[in-house]
Amino acid sequence: MINQNWILALPEIVLAICAMAILVFGVLWKRSNPSFPCAMLALASLLLAGVLALSAPLGSAYGGLFAVDHFAVFMKLLIVAGAGLSLILSIDYNVQTGIDRFEFPVLILLCTVGMMIMASATNLMSLYIGLELQSLSIYVMASFNRDDLRSSEAGLKYFVLGALASGLLLYGASLAYGFNGSMDFAQLRAGLTSTNPPAGLVIGIVFIVAGLAFKISAVPFHMWTPDVYEGAPTPVTAFMSTAPKVAAIALLLRALEVPFGHLGQSWTQLVVLVSIASMLLGSLAAIGQTSIKRLMAYSSIGHMGYALIGLATNSQAGIQGVLVYMVTYVFMSAGVFACVIAMRRQGLALEKISDLSGLARTDPMLALAFAIFMFSMAGIPPFSGFFGKLYVFYAAVQAGYWTLAVIGVLTSVIGAYYYLRVIKVMYFDDAQPAFDARSPSLSFVAAVGALVTVLFFVFPAPIVNAAQIAASALFG
Amino acid sequence: MTTGTVTTITPMPGGISMAVGVGHYLVVGAVLLLLGVFGIFLNRKNIIVIMMSIELILLAVNINLVAFSASLGDLAGQVLAMFVLTVAAAEAAIGLAIVVVYFRNRGSIQVEDVGLMKG
Amino acid sequence: MIYAIAILSPLAGCLLAGIFGRRFGDTYAKIVTIGFMILAALCAEISLSQVLFAEQPPEPVILATWFDIGGFRLDWALRRDTLSSAMVAMVAPVATLIHIYSVGYMAHERRSFRFFAYLSLFTFAMLMLVTANNLVQLFFGWEGVGLASYLLIGYWYDRPSANRAAMKAFIVNRVGDLFFALGIALVFQLFGSVEFPVIFAHIPDHQDALYHVLGHTWRAYEVIGFLLFIGAMGKSAQLGLHTWLPDAMEGPTPVSALIHAATMVTAGVFLMARMSYIMESAPGALTFVMLIGASTCIFAATIACVQNDIKRVIAYSTCSQLGYMFMAAGAGAYQASVFHLITHAFFKALLFLCAGSVIHAMSDEQDMRKMGGIWRMVPWTYTCMWLGSLAIAGIPFFAGYWSKDAILEATWASHNPLAGYGYLMGVLAAFLTAFYSWRLIIMTFHGTPRADKHTMEHVHESTPWMVAPLVILAFGAVFAGWLLHGWFIGEDQAEFWAGAIHVGANNHVLHDMENIPSIIGLLPTITGVLGIALAYVMYMLVPSLPGRLASTFQPIYQFLLHKWYFDELYDFLFVRPIQRLARVLWHVGDEKLIDGMPNSAAALAAGGSAQVVKIQTGSIAVYAFTMLIGLVVLISIFLLFR
Repeated sequence: MINQNWILALPEIVLAICAMAILVFGVLWKRSNPSFPCAMLALASLLLAGVLALSAPLGSAYGGLFAVDHFAVFMKLLIVAGAGLSLILSIDYNVQTGIDRFEFPVLILLCTVGMMIMASATNLMSLYIGLELQSLSIYVMASFNRDDLRSSEAGLKYFVLGALASGLLLYGASLAYGFNGSMDFAQLRAGLTSTNPPAGLVIGIVFIVAGLAFKISAVPFHMWTPDVYEGAPTPVTAFMSTAPKVAAIALLLRALEVPFGHLGQSWTQLVVLVSIASMLLGSLAAIGQTSIKRLMAYSSIGHMGYALIGLATNSQAGIQGVLVYMVTYVFMSAGVFACVIAMRRQGLALEKISDLSGLARTDPMLALAFAIFMFSMAGIPPFSGFFGKLYVFYAAVQAGYWTLAVIGVLTSVIGAYYYLRVIKVMYFDDAQPAFDARSPSLSFVAAVGALVTVLFFVFPAPIVNAAQIAASALFG
Repeated sequence: MTTGTVTTITPMPGGISMAVGVGHYLVVGAVLLLLGVFGIFLNRKNIIVIMMSIELILLAVNINLVAFSASLGDLAGQVLAMFVLTVAAAEAAIGLAIVVVYFRNRGSIQVEDVGLMKG
Repeated sequence: MIYAIAILSPLAGCLLAGIFGRRFGDTYAKIVTIGFMILAALCAEISLSQVLFAEQPPEPVILATWFDIGGFRLDWALRRDTLSSAMVAMVAPVATLIHIYSVGYMAHERRSFRFFAYLSLFTFAMLMLVTANNLVQLFFGWEGVGLASYLLIGYWYDRPSANRAAMKAFIVNRVGDLFFALGIALVFQLFGSVEFPVIFAHIPDHQDALYHVLGHTWRAYEVIGFLLFIGAMGKSAQLGLHTWLPDAMEGPTPVSALIHAATMVTAGVFLMARMSYIMESAPGALTFVMLIGASTCIFAATIACVQNDIKRVIAYSTCSQLGYMFMAAGAGAYQASVFHLITHAFFKALLFLCAGSVIHAMSDEQDMRKMGGIWRMVPWTYTCMWLGSLAIAGIPFFAGYWSKDAILEATWASHNPLAGYGYLMGVLAAFLTAFYSWRLIIMTFHGTPRADKHTMEHVHESTPWMVAPLVILAFGAVFAGWLLHGWFIGEDQAEFWAGAIHVGANNHVLHDMENIPSIIGLLPTITGVLGIALAYVMYMLVPSLPGRLASTFQPIYQFLLHKWYFDELYDFLFVRPIQRLARVLWHVGDEKLIDGMPNSAAALAAGGSAQVVKIQTGSIAVYAFTMLIGLVVLISIFLLFR
């Protein structure tokens, strides 16, 4: 007779055990550098965790701390996919940069455990534990290239600001707990019967939102993003822009919709403001950038603004839109970073946009993949990015948020400018010497991303339907 | 900013009439939070001070949690407080490690020196 | 399952050849594409036999859901009625043969994997088109074949003329597609669905629906039928939108055979048959169809009589034969129209491939004035050309005889107001068809050799790769009509079609055409024989006659030679005014207005960008301060407006 709690949390438990086993294996393995076998083992454990997450039964465990519903499963699969793709990206990069240490895959696994807990958290306590496990791993990963000043500065900045954000979130959690008497989401919801909650609770909600907004780098809690994206090793940047964003969005959706869903008319204004500010800043600040990694940082800020539109509608269609948006975003993002990592000449990693000039002539396949992702990020049909935007804008219009939709479209137009500039540089500027040969791992990730991005319009139904089921789990 | 609102909470029932109520604890917590927050952005000196400020914020949270836990008669707050202590230890360890790595590269941990990347 | 394999295996071939062709080489691409095509052809035939011997029409094969948005649901589905199955069973084998033929024809071409990938892509799109179960999927296939056609016409992209022809085909087709898309939109508006089963089931509900357009009131079905037909005109190169087809001969000859003769251009005809439910309720639109069909038929035939490029003659002949098919549709005899479509696919592919074989033999010479006297050197090609020409001329018991006769008889018997006009034009065109076909044979193969000595020394029969498809297609050209006429238009036709083609309650064309005066039925054959005789006299017995006629009737000759001055007219009416307008828009609209506004807006955005980036100072303290300010602002707003 196996404990029901264990069965429900099996993916997380297995993944955590795998992470520790790989750590031990890496320490004991003396024959050669253990980083490659460790990475392979980590990939296998991610795959295993994904399968387990998919086949896990639904239910609630640990006295309401942890829930497995369709929403959690959807998010976990997306998280595992993002983590797996980033891990594949890191394999060759780490070797070429001289940071091929076996702790890296272990950290990714531990971080993934944290994110999966976040996706399942139905209590402020499990929310905090998941969030911290994820954050602590990323602090280390951001400064993983420890002989590089920029990497360590990125780690430092992310650590200080991240700790501040966690502190604020925790303070909000303590207020929410104190003024409502419980940490459980369901009981919070039951306790909040009045439409006019006490001010302490309101402040608590804002603090929690602020803490989570930091994790998805929404304005005004976005300041760390460009610096950390630029300084961190590129696979870490890729990782940060995929899986943790998904996890933080999952947490934000669940924390706002489940306990505070009926206070919607008050917190939606916050989300609307944050969303508008993110879209504006994301599109404006990116224009002047010369580094592709900083460009992607601002671009991710903008994308989170678009995703928040769906949350601001506080409707099931809106949440569905967010989920579809996150799916398209994860694969686009992983693909873009695969292309960025492929930018390497005579062993030196490059990250200036001008280094891409004439890429269409020296490496047409890479240029094509890059162009696909850029078009998709700009929201140009028929690529997946267009459909992600379509769903959230549609939900916004249906819920009567015309301003949001209009600002969204306007900022997309501004955003298209810098995305298309990259394409212009690749296709119409003078050719430079070719990049070094791409490693197959990069080609694989870029191909996966491009396939999902291009073929989404052919078979949107499975993803859209899954998102619908997942969204309905929140509205039970 | 939180001080005005805690008056809605009734003081701890029973016991001594001059008892320190939950409101007082909250005020202490809020003050600690503010100290910590100001410590982070007013401090121009040293990164170690920032880390101390972060610890202050977490302590403020712990005071809040324990006070609420006692007033509500609910153990969950204290459990979370234990978690927070544990995580804070881990966080401090990681933070110090990062600071050491940074110092090795830069030769300084002055706050104003941390600004290589901007724009 | 087998059906799905038939449709999807060309896609597999296309992808495998297209993606890995560069790495593994052309031989690999040829093996892959042809292997998948043979698989497709076999599955197509098996599947057709399953449909024919099934008790009731099989259900559509649903592959996946395409869209499901707020009550608007579309599936990727493969329709499996007689019409779709018959089209698949025709397209897949013909395309397979042309793949095989291309191995020989493109043997000297380097990097031909691209060509084979495009051919397979085209086949896939065409199969998607004919098996669509809704209008949107049909449109997908429709645009897919348009794309493949563009790529293949422009295959030799280093030739400016090929690029121009590819663009012309694409643009002219867009005109038709615009109307087609409008038609689809109206269908959706009327029926609330674009799925064929839904549309066909609700035809009677909207008989009285009206549209108010341009101050007039029209029946909805007339408007939709009219729009769909204009779409069909573009793809099937009917009078007015035909100008792209002759130019499309810039592509390699197998392309001309596959796309511009056997399959793609028949998409319009297929559309008429598929939408017969709507067309039957739109007699006005059918009259228009008859008018355009009959006019195209005679118009293209006259031009074909004076062209000197061997491929252009056949191209205009295609145009003319498509006219026949639309005449049949206009007469309400969709069965005859599809029947002619199938037989035509065989003999027109045959004629084109023969022409390709001749061109190959003559060292890429296409001008018939520089050919002649080679019939002993290319016996297989020569024989096949004869069989194909006999078929197209409607000589009894060859394939074209059955279908063309059926069309003309149906036209005579129909109640269409323009039936008489159609019949007359059809008979005249039959005469001209025979004439230009034999003109082509005699000029190409007989008489004194007019090519230079060097070329004549190199004249040779083509490789077996090219001859084998010719022979197989020749069998089709000879026997297809005889074998199939019982099913398509004979006594058992209603059973055969099983509702795939709808005919109205008052439409007894197929029955009435049995009871017409026998002279009406014989006339096309007689004129055909006369046409052959005239060609024999003019080009074999008195070879100086054509030249004298041309100089005597100089204006008429020039008129025909310049294809009724359609290109010049369009150039004057549309192309040049649009170019002028474009230039004005460019200088005034673009440079001043459109560039001006965004330029200042862009300057604004760039300025804003510079400001926004300024707060990104790199200092941790500033970052933390921003977060705190943000938090305070959010809390204030939240407390103020809660």
